[in-house]
Amino acid sequence: MKKVHLSRRHLYQLIAVVVVLLIGVIMFVIGKQHIFLLDNKTLESNGKTYPAFSIVEVQVNRIESLELGPRDRDRADVRGQKHKITVRYTDRSFEEHEVVVKFKVPLSQEMVLISLPALVGGAEESVWLQPYEIPVLLTMPVDDEPIITDEIMPMDI
Amino acid sequence: MSKLRETKGQKLFNVIEKNAVPILFIIICAIGIPFSGYSLNYLGQEIITRIGRNSFLIIALLIPIMAGMGLNFGMTLGAMAGQIGLIFITDWKIGGIPGMILAMIISTPISAILGWMCGKILNMAKGREMVTSYIIGFFINGVYQLIVLYGMGPVIPIKDPALVLPRGYGIRNTVNLIGIRRSMDNVLAIRIFGLSIPVLTLVVIAMLCFFIIWFKKTKLGQDMRAVGQDMEVARAAGIKVEHTRIVSIVISTILAGYGMIIYLQNMGTLNTYNSHMQIGMFSIAALLVGGATVNKASIGNVFLGVTLFHVMFIVSPMAGKNLIGQAQLGEFFRVFVSYGVITLALVLYEIRKRRARYKTGRLLAQDQADMKEVDV
Repeated sequence: MKKVHLSRRHLYQLIAVVVVLLIGVIMFVIGKQHIFLLDNKTLESNGKTYPAFSIVEVQVNRIESLELGPRDRDRADVRGQKHKITVRYTDRSFEEHEVVVKFKVPLSQEMVLISLPALVGGAEESVWLQPYEIPVLLTMPVDDEPIITDEIMPMDI
Repeated sequence: MSKLRETKGQKLFNVIEKNAVPILFIIICAIGIPFSGYSLNYLGQEIITRIGRNSFLIIALLIPIMAGMGLNFGMTLGAMAGQIGLIFITDWKIGGIPGMILAMIISTPISAILGWMCGKILNMAKGREMVTSYIIGFFINGVYQLIVLYGMGPVIPIKDPALVLPRGYGIRNTVNLIGIRRSMDNVLAIRIFGLSIPVLTLVVIAMLCFFIIWFKKTKLGQDMRAVGQDMEVARAAGIKVEHTRIVSIVISTILAGYGMIIYLQNMGTLNTYNSHMQIGMFSIAALLVGGATVNKASIGNVFLGVTLFHVMFIVSPMAGKNLIGQAQLGEFFRVFVSYGVITLALVLYEIRKRRARYKTGRLLAQDQADMKEVDV
């Protein structure tokens, strides 16, 4: 049987390829985009009710904070797996509260629904953080983006 | 051999002839800027943006010129590889700088394979590299369209409905690169005198310039210069000429792929079937405007070229509108000038070659006449 000879050069090439692939995997993980739907609606789960806030301020990571009224829903586009959500609200006795929660999102999950009342109410993560799929019927056909170009040839030639 | 005796007029003519293209463009820009009515601030901002957007692509052309392979019209191959990388990261929803790096990683092997193939073919067409690489660009464009228009969807999985055509396969005409739009330009961006400077992009371009300078001093770089000067002499000196030429094209194609990714992150939209088509012509024209020739180009030519070419690009439609009342005329003018400058540079290159031969003859005759005078 022929002996496979691995020279030092081949070894370095192999190491280089492995390192590049590893960098690719790391980039995939840290660059993965997710959409957070921030929901301020009354939620009922396991017989417990989490009432919506009359007004709530929410900040995801370092993105500009959003203000939501009752039954409001907004979105935040984020990257990576680890996130921090900060919720600020005023209770009925006009005391200000701030709740900070750190959590992870599965790599395959593109869109998640975060129920702010449940999050603040101390519910389990599976209650306030739920995967969300866009209903097929609601998926609108996407229009083509306008073509931005500075090519030599004008488009109408 | 002594120096050729020339009159002052002949010396001046030589200087003008040597820098004909940049001088012509400086004149065009000097006339066009006042007529366009643009403020210097606006022009400055546009030029900075375009230097960041295009320089990397143009620098990718320097290595094949060093190896005597002329202007690499085959850089479109790298551009296509870069676009494939961008399509994948858009589908996988990878954004920001990580997305760009991943697109570069994906484009590298594709660019390397295409560059190697292109180099192999160019070795079979020595002396006609430019036209051959131009035609290879058309051929690979056909393969690219086959893959992107029919392969992506059924064979290569693409899930995002925003990317796939309504029929279920093939990529849409335009891909929104919102995930990486200006992600590189905005990192470390600073404002000076009201101008936004994309510091990271300029740092990356500066690093590439240092790489080119360093590369020229390496063994491979010296081999490329030797091959560029005379292939037979280089072969006699023990340099693997064919291999060196292939390596130069491979490096250029890979860099063109990266350049295309940087270019498109600035634009923010990928025109799937057209973005790469003009990029070779576009970059080559800019390099030639900077005073480069088919066999000699430097980093200085890149920056002078990109500045002059894009000033002309920005001002000509508005200058045309203000002068004649039709912006379209300015558009035609810039198309005419862009293609014309490539022709002019190629013609000048041939004239210079002949003139150099003629000068050598004259110098020889002058030396012989001097020798006779000494004998008498």
